[in-house]
Amino acid sequence: MTVTALVLGPLVIGLLLYLVPREHGGIARLVAVAVGAISFGLALYDPAAGDASVRWLSRPFAASFHLGFGPVSYWIVVLLALATFGAALAVTGPRSRALAAQLLILQGAMNGVFLAKDLLLFALFWDLMLIPVFLVLVEFAPHGRTAWKYLIYNLAGGLALLLATAAFGYLATTTDVIGKSLPAGTIGSVWGAWIFAGFAFAFLIKTPVFPFHTWMPETYAELPAPMVAVVSAVQSKAGLYGFLIVGLPFLAPEMARAQTLMFALGAIALIYGALASLVERDAKRVVAYSSLSHLGLIVLAVFSGSNLAIAGAVVYIVAHGLFSAVLFLALGAVEQREETRDLARLGGLGARNPKLAGALMLGALAALGLPGLAGFSGEILILTGLYRAGFVWPALVALVAVVLASAYMLRLFQGIMNGPEVPDLPERRDMTWTEALAIAPLVAGFVLLGINPAPLVARAAALAQPAPPALVSVRAVPEDSHAAGAR
Amino acid sequence: MNVAPENYVALSAVLFFIGVVGVIARRNPLIMLMSIELLFNAANLALVTYARAWVNNAGHIFAFLVITVAAAEAAIGLAIVAVTFRKEPFVDVDEVSALRG
Amino acid sequence: MLLYLVWLLPLVGGVGLWAFGPQLKSWAGPIGSALVGVSFIATLFLWRDATAARALDVPLGSWLPGWSFGLLLDRLSLIWTLIITGVGFLIHVYSIGYMDRDRAFARFFAYMNFFVFAMLTLVLSDNVIGLLVGWGLVGLASYFLIGFWFYKPTAVAAARKAFVMNVVGDIGIMFAIFLIVAKLGGIGYGLIFANVGSAFTPHELFLVCLGLFIGCAAKSAQIPLHSWLPDAMEGPTPVSALIHAATMVTAGVYLVARFAPLWSASPDAQELVGAIGALTAIAGAILGCAQWDIKRILAYSTMSQIGYMIMGVGIGAYDAGVFHFLTHAFFKAQLFLGAGIIIHALADEQDVRRMGGLRKQMPFAFAAMLVGVLAISGVPGLSGFFSKDAVVYGALQTGHPWLYAVAVVTAGITAYYMFRLLFVTFFGAYRGAVDPSDLGIRHPELAGTAASPGHHPEEEEPHPHAPGWLMSAPVAILIVPTIAIGWLDFGSNSAWKQFFAGFFPRAADAAGAAPISEAVSTLLVLLAVAIGFAVAYARYGAPAALRGAIARLRTETIRMPGVLVNAYYFDAAFEALLVRPARALGGWFDRTVDPHVIDAGVREAAISAQWLGHLFRSFQTGLVRAYALTLAFGVACIVAYYALAFGGGR
Repeated sequence: MTVTALVLGPLVIGLLLYLVPREHGGIARLVAVAVGAISFGLALYDPAAGDASVRWLSRPFAASFHLGFGPVSYWIVVLLALATFGAALAVTGPRSRALAAQLLILQGAMNGVFLAKDLLLFALFWDLMLIPVFLVLVEFAPHGRTAWKYLIYNLAGGLALLLATAAFGYLATTTDVIGKSLPAGTIGSVWGAWIFAGFAFAFLIKTPVFPFHTWMPETYAELPAPMVAVVSAVQSKAGLYGFLIVGLPFLAPEMARAQTLMFALGAIALIYGALASLVERDAKRVVAYSSLSHLGLIVLAVFSGSNLAIAGAVVYIVAHGLFSAVLFLALGAVEQREETRDLARLGGLGARNPKLAGALMLGALAALGLPGLAGFSGEILILTGLYRAGFVWPALVALVAVVLASAYMLRLFQGIMNGPEVPDLPERRDMTWTEALAIAPLVAGFVLLGINPAPLVARAAALAQPAPPALVSVRAVPEDSHAAGAR
Repeated sequence: MNVAPENYVALSAVLFFIGVVGVIARRNPLIMLMSIELLFNAANLALVTYARAWVNNAGHIFAFLVITVAAAEAAIGLAIVAVTFRKEPFVDVDEVSALRG
Repeated sequence: MLLYLVWLLPLVGGVGLWAFGPQLKSWAGPIGSALVGVSFIATLFLWRDATAARALDVPLGSWLPGWSFGLLLDRLSLIWTLIITGVGFLIHVYSIGYMDRDRAFARFFAYMNFFVFAMLTLVLSDNVIGLLVGWGLVGLASYFLIGFWFYKPTAVAAARKAFVMNVVGDIGIMFAIFLIVAKLGGIGYGLIFANVGSAFTPHELFLVCLGLFIGCAAKSAQIPLHSWLPDAMEGPTPVSALIHAATMVTAGVYLVARFAPLWSASPDAQELVGAIGALTAIAGAILGCAQWDIKRILAYSTMSQIGYMIMGVGIGAYDAGVFHFLTHAFFKAQLFLGAGIIIHALADEQDVRRMGGLRKQMPFAFAAMLVGVLAISGVPGLSGFFSKDAVVYGALQTGHPWLYAVAVVTAGITAYYMFRLLFVTFFGAYRGAVDPSDLGIRHPELAGTAASPGHHPEEEEPHPHAPGWLMSAPVAILIVPTIAIGWLDFGSNSAWKQFFAGFFPRAADAAGAAPISEAVSTLLVLLAVAIGFAVAYARYGAPAALRGAIARLRTETIRMPGVLVNAYYFDAAFEALLVRPARALGGWFDRTVDPHVIDAGVREAAISAQWLGHLFRSFQTGLVRAYALTLAFGVACIVAYYALAFGGGR
């Protein structure tokens, strides 16, 4: 019941919002805020909600309308509710109704993606979640081609996903498999390679990973801030989630075979994104390229096969969602005030907008992996896991990216907030309480997760293959050897 | 009186051939529509002939279907001709190429 | 439980003052100071627990099996905690006076309290991840405080540089953590030290030490990661005193001392650290002779003194290195706070060439600086003498004659540039009214004469004036330990040596191999100091030198070798080798590869689809008869196929 409500509720309410008269955008926005808050409450209140399942197809393979919480998806759904809540609060302007409605449709569709326990359902929601973003781009983006670029790239992926799902269903006789296991050898190696290729194509485009990333900076820069906050926080995780729930359990041999290639792509994305955001002038594109870099790190983790790194990947998926939403919401507030995102034109806002500066600073710090915040806890788990699993060079490359991250994130923050005040920028008031309310829960999330990621780590352990070995083995610790001098 | 099916089939082929030539060679839209009717009826004749020869009613039923389609076709075709003609009087279908890609 | 209090009070202050600063107004300073003061007193109550046979270890929680966190207060972290909270408290009080006219008074104290919290996290942690968390957080606090006047572009750039270079150090520590976790599976100090011998090969141990040392080098401004420290002087002076002299920059010393069991097991790492420490000591001292900004002189002296400490702990003379940290914390805080009094009185003038003769107008500042200079130079009886002597002789005891020679020479140079500072600032005539170009200053706005807009909004009073009691009292209190604390380590069985007896692993004793006795060594050091003082006196302090001071400063400014002015070109090298290539590559990716290479591939695919479309389009003539012909042709083909396939078979 809970899970069905999480998927269908936002979808239906989002569509119904179009019945609200166009000029009452404020009401639509309030409804969207309420839906975000209620889904957050619902997910927290009922974490053990049972699955909802209705048989749907029986030929050529069995498929069900099957929704339910999984070990990773639970936290992503919570994250999505928080992000939707914040994004809906940040909706402003004459076309609020459309934006609020599309945000809810997006939330419903993405809840569908993450809660689907049936691969076919997963693939269908996957395509559905493209539509709101496409429509918003059509309506809001200054360049018409951005919308088409987004749609074509992602539909190409969606098509591959659908084909791979069909082939999977044909071989396994059912697609109702997520969270279960298949008898060994169900997917032969010949078909396995093709099926994996289809899934991987879709997932890599969605994430995105070099070289499929070029739709992303444009889309992120031209989407309105509330929408891009949700897209970068949650939609970009769909691909990585796919690798975790489809790749790891069913296509492990193929994952292992693709490891070298994926490591190369991930490492390139890691450095490529970092360097590009070091010089980019558009503030939103800086964050977009930083996402490319951060998500490249998660790709490394997912393909490392190390439990520690995969636990780190789960932490980092949620962490990245939290801080990228904060960054985009804060940048949206900046853009709304100053009507530009150009770092060369911005500067010195911190003096008049100390709270906004604080919000952007916190987001940037989490993004650059400041120890004590969530970005760090994910990063250190991933990197330690990589190194432990014997991937020394990828770990070292990632360390370089950590240094670059601090450089570009500070460049972003200082370029906007520090330095002498720029005289010809419009002078506006500091952060409003609605903006603060939008950002505060996300910040609280990444602070808590930074201090203690244990709940996520524990859930991630459930992801591990049939017989999960202990995440780390500990040698016997002799008593009273705590101090250096006690030897 | 029993006529061998071959004769009907031959007649059907002749009618069909006349229809094809009519559609391809003539430029007057009305003549072309009439030629298409010929094609339909050639087909009908063949259907009915075989139905009778093999004692199978499917052919008859198909013939009815074709007659219905032919009626619809004639109605729509004439409507298109009428509309097009009202916009720009013409006697040669080659002058009408609004659907050129 | 008291330990939680020690640790968390400054955090409460940091967050509280940040959130409610505007409401607290001028109460922010006293509140912030009081919290640190309480933290200090609470630490004193914990003395007995910390020095007990089993040190105080409080668990905090766990992420994973083996990854548990806790607070550890043993003798080493006790010393650091006392300095951080004690000296920190004095500097907080001083700041109430120093920052009184600043707009962001509360924000300043929020950052300072946050720094104290971060530093306590660093030293109290009982595991490497917690250490790294503290390590990163102090870097952040340092970033905030260097860039405190964020409307100054120089301060902003300096803050970023400090942060990024410190992240380089962080990843060094991360690398060490990788190795430790890969080998041991856990992160606690106890686990690590118990398995030093069994878990690591010598090569791995060297790598762990190397990683840790990269962290040290970045945080403690050791070559080649030192160049952020002089720039960090852009921050308010109390910050320079607390963070960039007394506490944070000595975190590297703490790290080496904390991981003493690792270092002692890896002689290669010891040699490396000792050599880098000595190199930094002498390189920093030489640069100190070429600076005119009072705070930058002190910054280079800090770098040089930390070089001593790192050398000490590197070669295995752990208690000597830690002792030098202790005395340095006092006398360097003293020097910076004294300098702060001058800077505050002269409306942010920092260029010593534009000072001079301040001895008469500012006798208190003179007294404070004099004591500090005597202590840092190693004049017998003051604190610096004992600790420096211990480090220098330690080099000889552990069999490092070359390091010993460098250390002695450095002692002489130190005396030279510190007395130079003293003479130029306090003796002769006041030069504040002299035209800067007569002193050889070409760009006054670049020479550290910080005319910070908004800092002193209403009155500008370049008269030397006496400091308020809030500023003078902490300095007066600091004079006591600056003079006296050295006596803790007097004699071969001193209180200090007893305190750390058996705590550090004994250095592989080359003792007895020392070719000269400690007394002879002391005399050698004193000789070097005397020479340094004599040269400084002749050049800047003698009556003749004082009369021609303006002309002399002018020629010296103009003739200063470029290699010293540019600090050996480290910044230029980083810029050319790392920053520019990275930016160029990033620009190439962003502006060429993305739009013209990757997108070009996608565009090609789109264009071929378009071409196919054009091909099919040509069939669509719009001519009905053409369609009919095509149709007929198709029918003919089908008929022909059936005729050929089945017709002949009958």
